[in-house]
Amino acid sequence: MYQRSLFIAASALALSFSVPALAHHGWGGNVDQVSDMTGTVVKGVSLAGPHATMRINAEGHDWDITLAPPYRTQESGLKEGTIPVGATVTVRGNRNRDAKRFEMKTVQVRWADKRFDVYPERE
Amino acid sequence: MTWLEGSTLGHLMRESGVWTYAVVNLAHILGIALLFGAVFVLDLRLLGVWRRVPLEDLARPTVVIAGSGFALAAMTGPALLATKATDYIGNPFLPIKLVAIALGILNIAVIHRLPAWKARANPDLGLSQRRQLAIAGGASLACWLTAISAGRLIAYW
Repeated sequence: MYQRSLFIAASALALSFSVPALAHHGWGGNVDQVSDMTGTVVKGVSLAGPHATMRINAEGHDWDITLAPPYRTQESGLKEGTIPVGATVTVRGNRNRDAKRFEMKTVQVRWADKRFDVYPERE
Repeated sequence: MTWLEGSTLGHLMRESGVWTYAVVNLAHILGIALLFGAVFVLDLRLLGVWRRVPLEDLARPTVVIAGSGFALAAMTGPALLATKATDYIGNPFLPIKLVAIALGILNIAVIHRLPAWKARANPDLGLSQRRQLAIAGGASLACWLTAISAGRLIAYW
Protein backbone atom coordinates (compact mmCIF):
# COMPACT_ATOMS: atom_id res chain seq x y z
CA MET A 1 0.00 0.00 0.00
CA TYR A 2 2.74 2.36 1.04
CA GLN A 3 4.82 1.45 -2.00
CA ARG A 4 1.90 1.96 -4.30
CA SER A 5 1.21 5.46 -2.92
CA LEU A 6 4.88 6.30 -3.32
CA PHE A 7 4.80 5.10 -6.92
CA ILE A 8 1.74 7.23 -7.71
CA ALA A 9 3.31 10.27 -6.06
CA ALA A 10 6.56 9.77 -7.99
CA SER A 11 4.71 9.35 -11.29
CA ALA A 12 2.68 12.49 -10.68
CA LEU A 13 5.84 14.41 -9.92
CA ALA A 14 7.59 13.11 -13.06
CA LEU A 15 4.54 13.99 -15.15
CA SER A 16 4.41 17.51 -13.78
CA PHE A 17 7.98 18.10 -14.92
CA SER A 18 7.36 16.72 -18.38
CA VAL A 19 4.54 19.17 -19.07
CA PRO A 20 6.28 21.96 -20.97
CA ALA A 21 6.15 25.49 -19.66
CA LEU A 22 2.43 26.00 -20.04
CA ALA A 23 2.65 28.07 -16.95
CA HIS A 24 1.77 31.61 -16.18
CA HIS A 25 0.79 34.18 -18.74
CA GLY A 26 1.39 31.82 -21.64
CA TRP A 27 2.01 33.06 -25.14
CA GLY A 28 -0.90 31.03 -26.44
CA GLY A 29 -3.07 34.14 -26.69
CA ASN A 30 -0.60 35.76 -29.06
CA VAL A 31 0.12 35.13 -32.71
CA ASP A 32 3.06 32.90 -33.56
CA GLN A 33 4.91 35.24 -35.86
CA VAL A 34 7.13 37.99 -34.54
CA SER A 35 6.68 41.48 -35.95
CA ASP A 36 8.10 44.95 -35.46
CA MET A 37 6.16 48.03 -34.44
CA THR A 38 7.42 51.59 -34.12
CA GLY A 39 5.75 54.15 -31.89
CA THR A 40 6.21 56.71 -29.16
CA VAL A 41 6.37 55.92 -25.47
CA VAL A 42 3.17 56.98 -23.69
CA LYS A 43 3.99 55.39 -20.36
CA GLY A 44 7.53 54.45 -19.45
CA VAL A 45 8.78 51.06 -18.34
CA SER A 46 7.34 49.77 -15.06
CA LEU A 47 9.24 46.99 -13.32
CA ALA A 48 6.24 46.01 -11.20
CA GLY A 49 5.30 42.33 -11.29
CA PRO A 50 4.28 39.92 -12.59
CA HIS A 51 5.61 41.33 -15.87
CA ALA A 52 7.37 44.58 -16.65
CA THR A 53 5.25 46.74 -18.92
CA MET A 54 5.26 49.93 -20.95
CA ARG A 55 2.76 51.62 -23.22
CA ILE A 56 3.44 53.01 -26.66
CA ASN A 57 1.32 54.74 -29.26
CA ALA A 58 1.72 53.02 -32.61
CA GLU A 59 -0.41 52.46 -35.69
CA GLY A 60 -3.09 54.75 -34.25
CA HIS A 61 -3.56 52.92 -30.95
CA ASP A 62 -2.10 52.72 -27.47
CA TRP A 63 -0.42 49.35 -27.14
CA ASP A 64 0.31 47.55 -23.92
CA ILE A 65 3.83 46.26 -24.25
CA THR A 66 4.31 43.22 -22.06
CA LEU A 67 7.97 42.67 -21.27
CA ALA A 68 9.75 39.90 -19.39
CA PRO A 69 9.36 39.51 -15.59
CA PRO A 70 10.90 42.47 -13.70
CA TYR A 71 14.31 40.97 -12.88
CA ARG A 72 14.87 39.70 -16.39
CA THR A 73 13.84 42.98 -17.96
CA GLN A 74 16.19 44.89 -15.69
CA GLU A 75 19.05 42.50 -16.52
CA SER A 76 18.61 43.25 -20.22
CA GLY A 77 19.50 46.84 -19.34
CA LEU A 78 15.95 48.14 -19.56
CA LYS A 79 15.09 49.88 -16.31
CA GLU A 80 12.46 52.34 -15.19
CA GLY A 81 13.40 55.70 -16.63
CA THR A 82 15.90 54.30 -19.15
CA ILE A 83 13.70 55.35 -22.04
CA PRO A 84 11.99 58.75 -21.62
CA VAL A 85 8.29 59.25 -22.29
CA GLY A 86 7.84 60.57 -25.83
CA ALA A 87 10.83 58.69 -27.21
CA THR A 88 10.44 56.75 -30.44
CA VAL A 89 10.98 53.05 -29.93
CA THR A 90 10.69 49.95 -32.05
CA VAL A 91 9.39 46.86 -30.32
CA ARG A 92 9.56 43.36 -31.70
CA GLY A 93 7.27 40.66 -30.44
CA ASN A 94 4.08 38.65 -30.76
CA ARG A 95 0.83 40.59 -31.04
CA ASN A 96 -2.35 39.52 -29.28
CA ARG A 97 -4.48 37.15 -31.35
CA ASP A 98 -7.50 39.30 -30.55
CA ALA A 99 -7.32 42.22 -33.00
CA LYS A 100 -9.23 44.38 -30.52
CA ARG A 101 -6.65 43.90 -27.79
CA PHE A 102 -3.70 46.12 -28.48
CA GLU A 103 -1.14 44.11 -26.60
CA MET A 104 2.19 42.65 -27.60
CA LYS A 105 4.36 40.15 -25.80
CA THR A 106 7.68 41.70 -26.50
CA VAL A 107 11.03 40.04 -27.01
CA GLN A 108 13.08 43.10 -27.92
CA VAL A 109 12.94 46.88 -27.54
CA ARG A 110 15.11 49.18 -29.67
CA TRP A 111 15.63 52.82 -28.83
CA ALA A 112 18.15 55.20 -30.42
CA ASP A 113 21.22 52.98 -30.85
CA LYS A 114 20.34 50.72 -27.93
CA ARG A 115 18.81 47.29 -27.99
CA PHE A 116 17.22 45.50 -25.05
CA ASP A 117 16.69 41.78 -25.54
CA VAL A 118 14.29 40.88 -22.75
CA TYR A 119 13.59 37.45 -24.22
CA PRO A 120 16.70 36.74 -26.32
CA GLU A 121 15.81 33.05 -26.77
CA ARG A 122 12.43 33.86 -28.34
CA GLU A 123 13.85 35.75 -31.29
CA MET B 1 -9.45 49.58 -8.62
CA THR B 2 -7.94 52.94 -9.51
CA TRP B 3 -7.98 53.81 -5.83
CA LEU B 4 -6.35 50.49 -4.91
CA GLU B 5 -3.63 50.90 -7.50
CA GLY B 6 -2.87 54.41 -6.23
CA SER B 7 -2.87 53.32 -2.59
CA THR B 8 0.24 53.11 -0.43
CA LEU B 9 0.09 49.35 -0.81
CA GLY B 10 0.17 49.66 -4.60
CA HIS B 11 3.12 52.05 -4.47
CA LEU B 12 5.00 49.78 -2.07
CA MET B 13 4.45 46.78 -4.34
CA ARG B 14 5.69 48.63 -7.41
CA GLU B 15 8.59 50.48 -5.88
CA SER B 16 10.29 48.01 -3.53
CA GLY B 17 12.50 46.16 -5.96
CA VAL B 18 12.15 43.68 -8.78
CA TRP B 19 11.64 40.65 -6.51
CA THR B 20 8.81 42.13 -4.42
CA TYR B 21 5.96 40.72 -6.48
CA ALA B 22 7.62 37.31 -6.69
CA VAL B 23 8.14 37.07 -2.91
CA VAL B 24 4.60 38.24 -2.08
CA ASN B 25 3.27 35.85 -4.71
CA LEU B 26 5.21 33.03 -3.06
CA ALA B 27 3.69 33.86 0.32
CA HIS B 28 0.23 33.90 -1.27
CA ILE B 29 0.75 30.45 -2.74
CA LEU B 30 2.11 29.09 0.55
CA GLY B 31 -1.03 30.42 2.21
CA ILE B 32 -3.22 28.70 -0.37
CA ALA B 33 -1.28 25.45 0.04
CA LEU B 34 -1.76 25.50 3.80
CA LEU B 35 -5.42 26.45 3.52
CA PHE B 36 -6.38 23.97 0.85
CA GLY B 37 -4.23 21.11 2.13
CA ALA B 38 -5.83 21.29 5.55
CA VAL B 39 -9.34 21.99 4.25
CA PHE B 40 -9.12 19.05 1.83
CA VAL B 41 -8.31 16.58 4.60
CA LEU B 42 -11.02 17.90 6.90
CA ASP B 43 -13.64 18.06 4.13
CA LEU B 44 -12.97 14.48 3.07
CA ARG B 45 -13.42 13.42 6.69
CA LEU B 46 -16.70 15.36 6.85
CA LEU B 47 -17.75 13.59 3.65
CA GLY B 48 -17.20 10.27 5.37
CA VAL B 49 -13.67 9.23 4.42
CA TRP B 50 -11.44 7.87 7.26
CA ARG B 51 -14.43 7.53 9.54
CA ARG B 52 -12.34 5.75 12.16
CA VAL B 53 -10.23 8.87 12.69
CA PRO B 54 -12.00 10.89 15.40
CA LEU B 55 -13.33 14.11 13.87
CA GLU B 56 -12.32 16.14 16.88
CA ASP B 57 -8.70 14.94 16.61
CA LEU B 58 -8.57 15.86 12.93
CA ALA B 59 -10.40 19.15 13.32
CA ARG B 60 -7.98 20.57 15.85
CA PRO B 61 -4.83 20.72 13.64
CA THR B 62 -6.57 21.22 10.30
CA VAL B 63 -8.68 24.19 11.42
CA VAL B 64 -5.60 25.95 12.83
CA ILE B 65 -3.52 25.30 9.71
CA ALA B 66 -6.34 26.31 7.37
CA GLY B 67 -6.92 29.48 9.37
CA SER B 68 -3.23 30.41 9.27
CA GLY B 69 -3.06 29.70 5.55
CA PHE B 70 -6.13 31.81 4.93
CA ALA B 71 -4.65 34.69 6.93
CA LEU B 72 -1.42 34.54 4.91
CA ALA B 73 -3.29 34.41 1.60
CA ALA B 74 -5.71 37.17 2.62
CA MET B 75 -2.89 39.48 3.65
CA THR B 76 -0.89 39.01 0.45
CA GLY B 77 -3.76 38.84 -2.06
CA PRO B 78 -4.73 42.52 -1.91
CA ALA B 79 -1.05 43.47 -2.31
CA LEU B 80 -0.78 41.43 -5.53
CA LEU B 81 -3.99 43.00 -6.78
CA ALA B 82 -2.89 46.53 -5.87
CA THR B 83 0.28 46.21 -8.00
CA LYS B 84 -1.65 46.73 -11.24
CA ALA B 85 -5.23 46.81 -10.00
CA THR B 86 -6.63 48.50 -13.11
CA ASP B 87 -5.35 45.61 -15.24
CA TYR B 88 -7.99 43.41 -13.63
CA ILE B 89 -10.98 45.55 -14.57
CA GLY B 90 -13.25 43.35 -16.65
CA ASN B 91 -11.49 40.13 -15.68
CA PRO B 92 -14.40 37.76 -14.96
CA PHE B 93 -12.34 35.39 -12.84
CA LEU B 94 -11.62 37.93 -10.11
CA PRO B 95 -15.27 38.41 -9.05
CA ILE B 96 -15.85 34.64 -9.30
CA LYS B 97 -12.90 34.09 -6.97
CA LEU B 98 -14.06 36.73 -4.48
CA VAL B 99 -17.62 35.37 -4.39
CA ALA B 100 -16.30 31.82 -3.89
CA ILE B 101 -14.14 33.01 -0.98
CA ALA B 102 -17.11 34.84 0.57
CA LEU B 103 -19.24 31.70 0.24
CA GLY B 104 -16.42 29.62 1.74
CA ILE B 105 -16.30 31.90 4.77
CA LEU B 106 -20.08 31.88 5.05
CA ASN B 107 -19.96 28.09 4.96
CA ILE B 108 -17.47 28.08 7.84
CA ALA B 109 -19.84 30.27 9.86
CA VAL B 110 -22.68 27.88 9.10
CA ILE B 111 -20.63 24.80 10.04
CA HIS B 112 -19.72 26.31 13.37
CA ARG B 113 -23.40 26.76 14.15
CA LEU B 114 -24.36 23.20 13.23
CA PRO B 115 -25.34 21.05 16.22
CA ALA B 116 -23.50 18.21 14.50
CA TRP B 117 -20.26 20.23 14.49
CA LYS B 118 -20.69 21.17 18.13
CA ALA B 119 -21.11 17.47 18.89
CA ARG B 120 -18.02 16.47 16.85
CA ALA B 121 -16.29 14.97 19.90
CA ASN B 122 -19.08 12.39 20.03
CA PRO B 123 -17.89 9.31 18.10
CA ASP B 124 -21.43 8.12 17.39
CA LEU B 125 -23.14 10.87 15.45
CA GLY B 126 -26.53 9.99 14.01
CA LEU B 127 -27.18 9.67 10.30
CA SER B 128 -28.77 13.09 9.96
CA GLN B 129 -25.88 14.75 11.76
CA ARG B 130 -23.34 12.96 9.57
CA ARG B 131 -25.32 14.09 6.56
CA GLN B 132 -25.26 17.72 7.74
CA LEU B 133 -21.49 17.55 8.11
CA ALA B 134 -21.10 15.88 4.72
CA ILE B 135 -23.10 18.62 3.00
CA ALA B 136 -21.04 21.29 4.72
CA GLY B 137 -17.80 19.49 3.76
CA GLY B 138 -18.91 19.18 0.16
CA ALA B 139 -19.88 22.84 0.02
CA SER B 140 -16.51 23.77 1.48
CA LEU B 141 -14.63 21.76 -1.16
CA ALA B 142 -16.70 23.34 -3.92
CA CYS B 143 -16.05 26.87 -2.63
CA TRP B 144 -12.30 26.53 -2.21
CA LEU B 145 -11.79 24.61 -5.45
CA THR B 146 -13.70 27.34 -7.29
CA ALA B 147 -11.70 30.07 -5.55
CA ILE B 148 -8.37 28.44 -6.46
CA SER B 149 -9.38 27.66 -10.04
CA ALA B 150 -10.75 31.14 -10.70
CA GLY B 151 -7.73 32.66 -8.98
CA ARG B 152 -5.32 30.80 -11.23
CA LEU B 153 -7.32 31.65 -14.33
CA ILE B 154 -7.08 35.39 -13.59
CA ALA B 155 -3.59 35.28 -15.11
CA TYR B 156 -4.86 33.76 -18.36
CA TRP B 157 -7.61 36.23 -19.21
